[in-house]
This record gives sequence, C-alpha cells and structure tokens, in this order.
Amino acid sequence: MKRDDIVHAPLLQAEGLVKRYGGVIATDHVSLEIHRGDILGIIGPNGAGKSTLIGLLSGALVPSEGRIVFAGDDVTRRSAPDRARMGIGRTYQIPRPFLDMTVRENLLAAHYALHPRCRAAEAEAACQAILSRTGLADAAHLTGRALPLLRRKRLEVARALALKPRLLLLDEVGAGLVDAEVTELIELIQSLRDEVEAVIIIEHVLRVVRACCQRLLVVNFGKAFAQGPTDEVLASDEVAAVYLGTAHAPASAAPHAQAAPVPAAPPVPLDRLVTPALPGQGPLLELRHLNAGYGQAKVLNGLNLRVEAGHTVAVLGTNGAGKTTLANVLSGAIAPTAGEMRIAGQPVTGWAPHRIAALGMAQSMEGRRIFAPLTVEENLLLAAPGVPRGEVAARLEQVYGLFPDLAERRHRGGTSMSGGQQQMLAIGRALMRRPRLVVFDEISLGLAPVMMDRLYRALAELKRSGLTMLIVEQDVERALDLADEVHVMEHGRIALSGTARQLREDPRLRELYIGAETH
Amino acid sequence: MRAALSIRDHTMSLPRPGALPAWLLPAAFVLLAGAAPWLSDYLLETGFRLLLLMTLAEAWNLMAGYAGMVSLGTASFFGVGAYVLVGLVNATGAPLPVAFLAAGLAGALMAVLLSRAVLRLRGLYFTVGTFAMSEALRLFMINYGGFGGASGWFLQVDPPQARGLYWLALGLFALTTLCMTVITRSRVSILLRAVRDDEDAAAQIGIKPFRIKLLAFVIASVLTSLAGALQGLKLGAIEPYGTFGMAWTVNVLSIVLIGGQGLRAGPVIGTLFIVALSEWLADYPALHLAFTGLVLIVVIRFAPKGIAGLLSQVFAKGARS
Repeated sequence: MKRDDIVHAPLLQAEGLVKRYGGVIATDHVSLEIHRGDILGIIGPNGAGKSTLIGLLSGALVPSEGRIVFAGDDVTRRSAPDRARMGIGRTYQIPRPFLDMTVRENLLAAHYALHPRCRAAEAEAACQAILSRTGLADAAHLTGRALPLLRRKRLEVARALALKPRLLLLDEVGAGLVDAEVTELIELIQSLRDEVEAVIIIEHVLRVVRACCQRLLVVNFGKAFAQGPTDEVLASDEVAAVYLGTAHAPASAAPHAQAAPVPAAPPVPLDRLVTPALPGQGPLLELRHLNAGYGQAKVLNGLNLRVEAGHTVAVLGTNGAGKTTLANVLSGAIAPTAGEMRIAGQPVTGWAPHRIAALGMAQSMEGRRIFAPLTVEENLLLAAPGVPRGEVAARLEQVYGLFPDLAERRHRGGTSMSGGQQQMLAIGRALMRRPRLVVFDEISLGLAPVMMDRLYRALAELKRSGLTMLIVEQDVERALDLADEVHVMEHGRIALSGTARQLREDPRLRELYIGAETH
Repeated sequence: MRAALSIRDHTMSLPRPGALPAWLLPAAFVLLAGAAPWLSDYLLETGFRLLLLMTLAEAWNLMAGYAGMVSLGTASFFGVGAYVLVGLVNATGAPLPVAFLAAGLAGALMAVLLSRAVLRLRGLYFTVGTFAMSEALRLFMINYGGFGGASGWFLQVDPPQARGLYWLALGLFALTTLCMTVITRSRVSILLRAVRDDEDAAAQIGIKPFRIKLLAFVIASVLTSLAGALQGLKLGAIEPYGTFGMAWTVNVLSIVLIGGQGLRAGPVIGTLFIVALSEWLADYPALHLAFTGLVLIVVIRFAPKGIAGLLSQVFAKGARS
C-alpha cells in the first residue's frame, strides 16, 4: 500500500508557498504539483516571481510559509546541497558558471559532489557524454569565463544534467536563441524525458513552451494567476492581457485590438530628449570596410553600414554573427583594427567612448547595465552631467512621461525593478543626453511579450519625434515592423540589405537568419 | 552531424604545461637534505627562512587561492603554534615530536572552534573577520598575564643547532608539499575551486560549501601552527608582539600575491623573490619596504596571476610557436 502511494503521489508538491522580503511579497500562496513524466511550464510577466519560485523549490531560498514535498519527503527545511543530492537540479537565469574552471571541471564538480569515490574515468566519460549532447564538446577545455552568454546558458543546463537529476528546473534557457537553436533546445528537452522524471520550465520563448509543456502555470504579482493545459491557458483572454500582449493575442481578440489602437493617448512630448534629424543632413553614421575583434579572433570582417539621419535601421543576425561586437565598436568600447567609422561626416575611428558620446551618440547596452547601488532617478541623472538644472528636470519629466513605470519607482533601487522596467531605465538613460542617434542593443532579450510591446511602442514614439535609431535585435518580427531599412549580418559582414517590406518577402532572410533547419 | 561531436579533446592526453616528472620533487628534497653538512651557517639560516615562509605561503595559498578565503589571520595560528610548543616543553619537558604534534592539533582545534563564526562570512567579510580575530588575540596575549604577558616566555631547553633546524624546516615543507600535491591533483581541488568561484552555485549542484571550506581552513591552520612552533623553537624566546604580529600575515600575503595566487608554483616563486630582495637590500631596510610595495603594486596592476602566471603565459606562447 505504501508502495502504491509512492507511485501515484506527485514527484513534487508545493503547498501555499510564500516568500516575503520585508514588506514585499515575491511569492504569494503558490501551490503546484508535478507528476512523473510531466513537463510543466511557468510563464508570467517579468518580475512576477518566477525565478523566486525556482529558488524556493531548489532550496536556494527559504520559504516564509508553506511546505514542499519531494518524492514523499518533506524538504521544506532541507538545504540546497541536500536537495541537489536528492535529485533536484536547477539552472540560473543569469548563468553562474565557475568562471576560473574549465567547462569539463564545471561538470566534474557536480559529478564528484554526488559520487566522491567514483572512478575518474567513469566521471570523465559521463561528463563528456553530457558535453557532446549539449553542444559543448569543443569548449571542454575553455574556462567558464571564456564562454559568451549563450554558451554559458548551455553550460548551466549541462551542469544541472551532470547531477543526474530526477526533477530539472530550467530558468529561461531559451532567451536569446534564434529559431534553429530553439529547435535544438526543444529536441534536447524532449530527449530528457527518458532520464529525468519531470521538468519545470520558465520560459518567454513561446515556441519552447508550446512544444514541450503539457501544463502551464501563469504567475502574476507572485500569485498563481491561471493553471491548466497549455493550449487552454495560451488561448485565454486573461492571460493575453497580463502576459502575451497583442503580438500573440488569440485570433478572436485581434480585431478588437486593432479596433482600439493603442496610441489613442496624445503623443508624449519628447523634444527635450531627442535631437531631431535635419532634412538633407546626409548619413549620421557610416562604417566602411570595418574589421574588429578580440585578440586573435576576428569578428567583424569588412563591414559596411550607413545610417541616414532620421532613419530607423535594424541589424539582425544569428548569435555569433558579430552584432554585439558591432555595438561595442559603435560605442568605442573596442577599437576597430581596420576600416573607418564616421559620425555626421566626422572620422571617429578609434575614439574613446566619452568622445563618441559627446557627438550625440548614445547606447542602450545589451544586458541593461544598470548601476545597482543607485536609485532609478540617480541612474538617469548620472547620464546628464554638466546639464543645467532646469534642463535636467525637463528631460527627467519627459523620460517619466515616456515610461510612467519609472516615475512611480523613481526612488527605488535601479535593479530592484523587473527586467522590463530595467530595460526602460536603460533606454531612458540613453535619452538623458538628448542624443541624435541611439543604438538599441538587444532590448527585447528575456522579456515577456507584453513588455516587448510596451518597449516597441516607446521606440515608435521616439521614431515619430525624429530620432535616428540603430536597432540591433534578435526578434525579427518587431524589428521589421519598426525599421525603415534592415540589414542582416553573417560572419561579421552585412549579407543582406533592403527595406523592411522587401526583406519580409525575401526567402534569403529565412535562410540566413533562421538557418536551414533541415541540414 | 554536428562538427562539435567529432572534435576529440586533446587536453587530457597531453601533459599539462609545466608539469614535472613525478620523481623530481622527492629527489629535490633528498638533495636539499643531503646537502646540509656542506652548507655554511649563512646558507642554513637563509634556507630555514625560505622553507618556513614557503610553508606559510602554501598554507595561505590553499585558503585564498584555491578556496577563495583571503585570510588575515595567519599570525594567530602562527603564534598559537609557537606558544603551545614552548609552553608544553617548559611545563612538562615533553619531547619535541610530541610538542610539534600538540602545536598542530592546537591549530586544528582553533580552526574548528572558529569555523562556525568566520566561515559563515564571505569575501571581504571573511577577511575583516579574520583580521579582527587576529588583533583581538594579539591584544589578549599582551594584556593577559597567564601566558607570560607582554614579555613572553623563554624556552627552557636548548634549541637545536642551525643544521637541525634546517632539517626540521625541510621536513615541514615536505609535509606541506605532500598535502598540497594531494589536494591540488585530486578531485578535492575541483570542489574547492567550485566553492571559490561561486558558493551558491556550488550548493545547487550538491556541494556542501561549509565542509569544503572547513577542510581547507583546518589543513592550512595545522601547517601554519607547525611553522609557528618551529619558529618558536628557533627563537628560544617568544613574545606576543613578534609571534602574533601582523608582519607575518602581511609578509605571507605579499609573497603569494607576487608569486601567483591560486597557482601551484606561486608560493615558492614568491618566497624566492621576496627573500632574494630582502637579502639584496639588507643594508637599506627602508628602501626594501618601499621596493616591495612598488613591486606589489606593479604585479597587482599588470600581472594579477603573479610571477608564476607570467611565466606560464610565456611558456604557453613558446610551446605554441
């Protein structure tokens, strides 16, 4: 009878989980159950408390209330290492590899923690198999520090697998992947079904959620907002309202959304934040035969790019095509090794970042780079040094007009906000200098669809007010909607250019960007 | 087929750059021990100093370099070792091996007793915590009369001759080298470095950070206390200002930073450098300090992995071309 209980009891059961930080409730009476063979998806807006939930289940955080039962044992008070040894493996949303150890050692650490007396050859073989499977075999001898963000995410998954977990908690492992890589990820998750008893996935990439999860839990403001079979949850109007936004709205809701267009509100004044382009000004930014890289690795390879004043230009490309390096060259963070860069006709090749910024170019950097010890307002003020006080106040006013979320939180810590609000702050900070040209680097990375809608609405406002914009982006659809011209990067140069309309119908875009999945 | 799958990994089959044949290290120790009868007093004296500092530096490197615990408590364990040896020999006339054993055990006991308090602290807090402990203990030893107070104790037996001390120091350093080799070549090294790089992530893959840190803390403390006992035996007279003084801590710290933190060869190279520098500038003590400070600044700025790090970079480049 006892045995029967074990078979039918859920693998993991959480009841009434509450996590409070002082007066803030991050998780508010969430209960969930996961059975053997289940893949449960957790979705919700940024800052809804999804990662907190993973922390509570993995033992990194101690719940204020509630209990967690794993495989029949109450683990509420068990430490993180104990839970890992019982078979709960997790990944971090922002990867935390052991930076000064090789990729192989990162996995061996997990293996040896569990089996301190196993044979070395056995441990090596087990880790090698996981590395091959997660596409990291060629990086086995590199240090964690040497891996770029997306490979660090793979390492997170590989390290969790090295625990041979019974329950795997995946926290946004799909963020930043292009379609072909998402396909690989889906295949990987589905191939785990035989060895991992159950998986919980937190994900904004809806393709992963649709393909892998039978059930979804929607979290909003720390509460379980909806729960049920994946199709039903994704089709519900309430979920569309809090999470999915217009882009993924169910078909029935779409005409309604169009009938009541969003910019019904009067346009926000932005004249203090934007130096508009003058007619007939010529190109604001010009790159000719540009080469750049890091040490031996050459990333940009004869890149040509022109941004006309007043235009919105999007640069798309797969991971590793050189988009981030391009953004780094534009800001002056790395100097090109050959070629020329001009801003409004002025040669600026090899200039330091502050001199480039002084010409009216601003950046909203990938990963946001908010100063954690400063408040929202201090982060904004820092970007406008030497500007008269009245002018600063006017600019602040307009940033808050563009992003009312920031106005409400002006005295809170910059990194205490949700990911989407931090991205707003990064954009606001770029605008505080009243730039002529802003480079937006991967602003939609890791954001809920509803949040991406709001950010792109703000970008559309900025475009209307005459700002010249260069958008480096992963999300093809949104970039095509906004941009006048689109360039697709491949192997460090522009492989395909045209207007958004031309590219949308060009089969080569699919080939270049999405990758030939059948090969 | 993905290309990644077909690439065989070569790093395991090749010897690591800088890896020495296994017989070389024991042979070096035998040679150094056998050479003692022919060494002058100056060389025996300098050799003793080198070996003592190397032992302390290895112990500090085990904590800071491999386990991420930057300690400013070296002097405490050093002083405890010295006091236990001298006190025990004076009070009971215990033979030296027993006195050394007791000094080592005292270091281990102190580490275990303190672990609950200091190992819960991370990063800079651990450093400040060990510093506070160290200063508190020094002030206690100065002001409390039970252990001789500010004037300290005299050893009531004759200390061994210079040659005997040299052999003892060589023996201690051999023990240290054995410990370090076993730890850094085994899987313990991987667990230590995992905790060093990210304690929370290590906990999430089943490593118990407290145990791993305690292991490093206890081993380093035993070695430091043994070195202290040896220094107490050599001096014949110990007092709290010297044996519990910050000078030991600062010396060891600068040796490892200059030599190469977290690298196996760092402490030895750093000790050779510092001792050579102090011998060279022995007549200009003020200049010596200023110069050491300057070297420290240059190394931290331009070679964060110390001299050993620079050398391994040079060898790696040479091997490639």
